[in-house]
Formats: sequence, structure tokens, C-alpha cells
Amino acid sequence: MVFSSLLFLILFLPVVLILYYLSPRRIKNLMLFLASLVFYAWGEPIYIALMLFSTLTDYLFGLLLDRKGMSGKGRKAVLIASVIVNLGVLGFFKYADFLIANVNAVLGTAIPPTDLPLPIGISFYTFQSMSYIIDVYRRDSKAQRNWIDFATFVSLFPQLVAGPIVRYNTIAEQLKDRRVDAHMFAEGVRRFCIGLAKKVLLANNIGLLWNEVSAADSLSGLPVLTAWLGIIAFAFQIYYDFSGYSDMAIGLGLMFGFRFNENFNKPYTAISMTDFWRRWHISLGTWFREYVYIPLGGNRKGMTNQLRNILIVWLLTGIWHGASWNFLLWGLYFGVILIAEKLFLLRLLARLPRWMSHLYAVLLILIGWVLFAFENIGDVAAYISAMFGGNGIWFDRHSIYLLYTNAILLLLLVMGSLEWRGLIRSVQARLNGGIQNRSVADDITGSDGTRKAVNGKPASVVLPLLGLGWHAVLLLMSVAYLVDATFNPFLYFRF
Amino acid sequence: MSSKWIDRIYIGGFLSLLIGLLLFFIFEPKTIFSELENRKLQENPEFSWSRIWSQQYAKDAELYVTDHFPFRAEFIATKSLLEQARLQKENNGIFLGEDGYLFEKFGKPDLDELGSYVDAINKFAANHPETRLSFLLAPNSVGMYPERLPWMAEAYSQRELNKWIGGRLDGGLTFLDGFAFLDHGDTESKQDDRQLYYRTDHHWTTFGAYLAYRAYSESLGWEPLAEEDFHIRTVSDSFLGSYHTKGQYGGLRPDTIEVYEPKNPVASEMHIVDTDETSDSLYDDSYLSKKDKYSYFQGGVHALVTVTNEIASEDADLEKLLIVKDSYAHSMLPFLTNHVRDIHMIDIRYYNGNIGDYMEENGIQDALFLFNTSTFVQERNLLKLKY
Repeated sequence: MVFSSLLFLILFLPVVLILYYLSPRRIKNLMLFLASLVFYAWGEPIYIALMLFSTLTDYLFGLLLDRKGMSGKGRKAVLIASVIVNLGVLGFFKYADFLIANVNAVLGTAIPPTDLPLPIGISFYTFQSMSYIIDVYRRDSKAQRNWIDFATFVSLFPQLVAGPIVRYNTIAEQLKDRRVDAHMFAEGVRRFCIGLAKKVLLANNIGLLWNEVSAADSLSGLPVLTAWLGIIAFAFQIYYDFSGYSDMAIGLGLMFGFRFNENFNKPYTAISMTDFWRRWHISLGTWFREYVYIPLGGNRKGMTNQLRNILIVWLLTGIWHGASWNFLLWGLYFGVILIAEKLFLLRLLARLPRWMSHLYAVLLILIGWVLFAFENIGDVAAYISAMFGGNGIWFDRHSIYLLYTNAILLLLLVMGSLEWRGLIRSVQARLNGGIQNRSVADDITGSDGTRKAVNGKPASVVLPLLGLGWHAVLLLMSVAYLVDATFNPFLYFRF
Repeated sequence: MSSKWIDRIYIGGFLSLLIGLLLFFIFEPKTIFSELENRKLQENPEFSWSRIWSQQYAKDAELYVTDHFPFRAEFIATKSLLEQARLQKENNGIFLGEDGYLFEKFGKPDLDELGSYVDAINKFAANHPETRLSFLLAPNSVGMYPERLPWMAEAYSQRELNKWIGGRLDGGLTFLDGFAFLDHGDTESKQDDRQLYYRTDHHWTTFGAYLAYRAYSESLGWEPLAEEDFHIRTVSDSFLGSYHTKGQYGGLRPDTIEVYEPKNPVASEMHIVDTDETSDSLYDDSYLSKKDKYSYFQGGVHALVTVTNEIASEDADLEKLLIVKDSYAHSMLPFLTNHVRDIHMIDIRYYNGNIGDYMEENGIQDALFLFNTSTFVQERNLLKLKY
């Protein structure tokens, strides 16, 4: 099931919420686990066995790791066994056919491909499950004795199919004991509405523009303007799709009492590639840093080793995104840029005006998306050539048509990518100050401390009320687009 | 009011909206057919473990909820309005053109593939040298009125394409390019506001069909009836056709459907072979109260229809005619009943017999192939013609 479906919205979500809040505390996790199984089985009835298998083996490995009298060697053996099982399953389902195709191509053999569909969310839940084993191995967390609690962690439906990748140690406490108050639930509703609107109103619609451009008869006739419009559309589609999904996941988590870490932080405001990767898919970057980069020695064993480690992490990041050469190339591309930044570029960028370093970052990000979007390397080259005038056409009627029919949407997409929190805070502060002169009829008790002005007067509710209207409109508009949806693909299912 | 109250409104509003929609969805009576979209809606999926296993149940259930969603029409209209507000000029492959015209996108066709369709017709003509064969290729509204497309929007030129097709045809048949008589018709009548095509549907109007009839008759040396020989009657002024169904634009001006009734009527008997039904009318009034109003003409698409017309032998221009066609022929057929005694009409998309055999069995020497450019360029079934 996906969040951006009407069945999820009006049937699954309200029913699960009601059942969850009616359940006594000790079976709330069981309730969530069962709901997650239904959620998963809805789209993948067969692979549910695979997910339960992963869950069960890692649960048992965890118990073994925590057994009294286990030697260091024994613990290491358990860790290695778990990693082999996890990566073995992931490798078989995600990379076997890629490997077979390449072996066949190089050796001229004819090994038949497995042709198995990729189990939904396998890249995400495998990484979550591995984080648990590694945390327990390092004694950052205690092993989970309760299988239901552990299975709830792995299969939790808000982040099951597209992240954020939740590390076990960030959520272990909440699995045992969590409380939801009205403020937390309302925050969840806000996040969910924002995420749904990002996905349904923005990502799906700009995706149509990318589809139109990339479906051109031949890339060798693409004018410069069309090529840029296309890749900008792709960049926005993938950002709003993925971050929208993360927002919905975080929002749903809040409704059930979980606080997941943020996954995006306005990535397109980045001023370097290093900055971009601190803002984009943060949970994946953190995972690789915690469980690959630092164990490899990170930056503590000399420059050569550090550069090697960066390269390893980025090749892995690339191939994590999909079993295809272009993803590996995409990872390598960022690895090389990040090394260059580490060596000298960052110092150079620091001396430039901010808009220039921003331009630098955006350009490199967009070229990165070309690598990401086309599986065929020849197409990548043709597209980049088109962007830089290789076809000798600046624009044609079609480019103008695509530009003006998407101009308003593009403007909204740009606005949505910028940072507004500072502005909102200062407007709120000004409104709070101005309210002194007005009579505040209702509510002088102000028992809710979260929005209280410094001078002790209750905070202005003008902005929160505007926000309320805004979120309601977004939700209703999203439903309208979903009802009419003939185009509602879900991009991150490939991962 | 404190922010605590606002949080409560968020929670109450969100939950009551979702639960409210759910209750509406459960208790609202379900319709089986959507007039707005002109299609059968998804039925409540049947539960079985095998259907769960194959994911068919999940797909059907999602469709069921979407199809019967509370206030579905209102939500769809809202979306359409928002799309227009953001200057989007197309929806589901339908352009929102000038003067209230909707157009279907028309891109460059695969010329190799198209060439093989034209060759099929050539081969048919070569295999049946005794047959008098005409091929009438009507453009679509997007080909006729490219200047009415949204600003800067483009469509592949059907004018050029029809010429290309004409150029690839061998001798041995008469080619009637719709542009020749439709262009002419518009200017000669000096009535630019006369519609050749419906604004909201992919068909030509009865007037467009009349001009085609006139051109076809003249090409065969018959004397066509003048417009004055008909009572022209409006049978519907609330026609929102297939482009409207696909594009779902709100606030459109509906089209008008006209029927040309000869002042000297000819009695006709129509036999729909598919269902073995017989009728003494070429029109089916029941469709005028439905969404799909163009099916007023002969009750829609049938694989094989025969029409017998009571014309005295000495007054008839032709005894027997075979029409191989798409639905553009439906509004033109009634005109031909004034000239031909026996008309056989085959829709090649649904008829699986051999056309040559059919002509032989029924002693038919005259054939008209009538297609619109858009269906012709993608009609693989034309390859059946070869024999």
C-alpha cells in the first residue's frame, strides 16, 4: 500500500488509528505490527515471508550477541553471520540479475536471469535490521528480548517502504514506552498533510514534464531550454516525491508516538556538495557514516585511507540506489567531487560570494541527476550535451509551451525548496509583540507553554490559524488530485 | 483561543474528515455506470485468497474506492479548475484549445508502420482489380484547426501526413483527402461559424459528414442532394463528447448534434448482424439522454451492419456498396441511403472475416474505405486487408 492512495487515507489510516488508541498499552506494539503486516501484504503478499525471515533471524542473532559468557570472537562470528544473511538476501533479490547480466556479457555465458521482482522496501528494512545487530554488537543498545517489539521496529508501516532509515538506538526507548499528547498528534497531522501535498500536488505534476521531455524521439534533437526544463523537473520530482514520503512517514510516526529523525533539510539550498549530502536523505548518509565509514577508520588513519573510505562509501551509496551501472557511476561522481572538496574546493568556495557557490552546487546536483535518470550511458552523454548546446538549438515552440504551461508550478517548487522558517519565526515574534495593545479575550491562562511570547502574554494565533487553513486546503486539494489520478506512480519503489 | 485549541481542531478536523469520507463511502448508494466518464465503474471486488495472492484484489479495491469516492465529480472538477489556474493546457492527452475546442494530441507517427497500412490498401486494390474502390481519409479537428491549439502547442501536421499517404497510394483506387472538401466547404458556404467538428468530441459534425458525402458522390458521378433538400433538426444541444470525457475540463460549452432528414424520405431497414437486431431507423434516440450521444447514429459501433433502402431500381445510383470504416462513417451513412439500395458496413477493428470473401459472397463491386487520420495511423487491424 502507499500513503498517497485513497484507500489508505479513508480506510486503512482511520481504522488503524482507532484500533491503536483503543488497544491497552501492552498490546499497542502488537497492534502496530499487525497493521504493518497488512500494509505490506497489500502490495507484496509473497514477500511478507521474506521480511518475517529477516526479522526472526536478526532477533535471534541479537539474543546470541547478548548472551552471558559469549566471547569476543563468538560475538564477532555472530555479527558476521548476520551481515552475511542480510546482505545475502538483499544481494540475491536486488543484485543477482545485474550480476548475471554482466557475467553473461563479459564471459559470453547464457546464465538465465532470476526475473524476480524486487521486494518492496527491502533496501530500507534490511538496513534497519542491520543497524540493530551492529548497535547490539557495539553495546550501543541492549538486545530486544520481545520479538513483537523488534518486529514492530523493522516492519513499522510509516517508514517500511521508503524510509527514513531508522537506526535502532534512536528508537529503542520509544518502542518500550511512548506517549502522544495533542500537540504531538497535531504536529503529525501537519507533517502528513505537507508530505501528501508534496507528493500528490507537486511531485506527480512536475513528473509529467520530465516524462514528456525524456520521452522525446531522440535526445539529439533536444533544445537547450527543453533539456534544462527536463532535468530541473526531474530534480524537483525526485525531491518532492521522496521528501514528501519522508514527511508523511514522520507525520504518521508522530501520530503513533514515534519521533523519527529528519531525512531532508532543504537540500537545494546547499552551497557545496558536502553541504548537499548533509541535507539530502540524511538517514542514509548517517547509516553509511555510522556503519561503514567510521568502522573503516573514517578520517583517523591518514589522508590516503580517508579518501579510500570516502570512495568506498560513495560507490556503495550509488549501488544502493539501484542495480545498474549508472547508479554506480552516480556514486563515483559524488565520491570524486566530495574528495575534491575535501582537498581544496571547499576552501576555494568559501572565498566566493554565496550565490556563486550555490550556483556551483545546483549545477553539479543537476548533472548528477542526469546520471541518475538514464540507465544508458550513451543517453547520459547525449542529454548533457543537449544541456550545453550540443544540438545547436537554444529553444523551439515546444520549449516555450512547456515553459509557460509549467511556470507557475515551477515557481511554487522553487519557493518550496527555500528556507522560510527564519522568516516565519520573525513574523510570529512581531505579531506576539504587537498583541500587547489588543485585548485578549479568550485564553489568558496560557497553560500551553510552547507558543508563549517572552513577555508572558499569550502568543498570537494569527499564523497558526492561517496554517490551519493552509493545511486543510492542501489536504483537500491532494484528495481532489488523487480522485482524478490517472498518473500516480511511486518512484522510490525501486530502492 | 490558544494554540492548544488549534491543535485540537487539527486532530478533530483531520479525523472527522477521514472518518466522514469513510462513512459517506460506505453508506452512499453505488452507481454502476459513470455518465460523466462514460464507463462502467469498478465493482466491489470479490474476496478470495487466490485474488489476494495475485494482488488483483488490492488493485480492484483501490479502484473501487477511487471510482466510488464521495463527491467524486466535485473533486474532479476542482482538480480541473486548479490545473487551468496554473496555466496547464492539457490533461490526459487532451489540449484545451481556443474557442472552446478540445483537441487530442497528435505526434509524429511511425512512418514505417503507417506505410505498411497504406501498402495493405494498395495490395487489396491490386488483388481486386474488378472492384471500384474509394479511400476517404478525414483529418481530425487537430489537423483542421491547428491555429486553435493552445499558444505554442504543436501537433504533427495532418495536412502533410494525408498528402504523404495519398502519395504512397498506387493507382487503381480513388483517394479523397478530407482537407480538399472540408477546406472548400468552409469557405464556399461563407459561413465560418459552421462547425466541421465537435468541440468536445473526436468526430466530425453532421455538416462535416455532409461535405464528405457530397465529395464522395461527385467523385462517383452521382448528383448529391443539396442542403436545401433536408430538414436540418437539432436533436441534442447538451453533447459533451469523448474529449471532454478524457480531459475532464469543467465549464465547457456543450456541442449540438444535428440530423439531416431528407424532405423525400427513403425507408430504410438496418440489420445489426452482431446481435441479429433489426430496426427501421438509422438512429437510436435512447443515446441522446446518455453521455455517449454520438452513438445516436446507428446505436454505436458494430462489427457488421447491413442497411436496405427502398429505392426504385431505376432511381438508385448503385445496387450494393461495402463501407470499411471507423466511427466517422456513422454520421455519413444516412446520406448514402438516398443513393444505394444495399449498404454493408464493416468495422475492421471488430470484424474478423475476410473482406474479399465477403464482397464475393454478396456480389459487391463497390467499396469505400473511410477512416480518420488519427485512427488510421494506429490501426494495426488494417493489415487484415491484404487478402
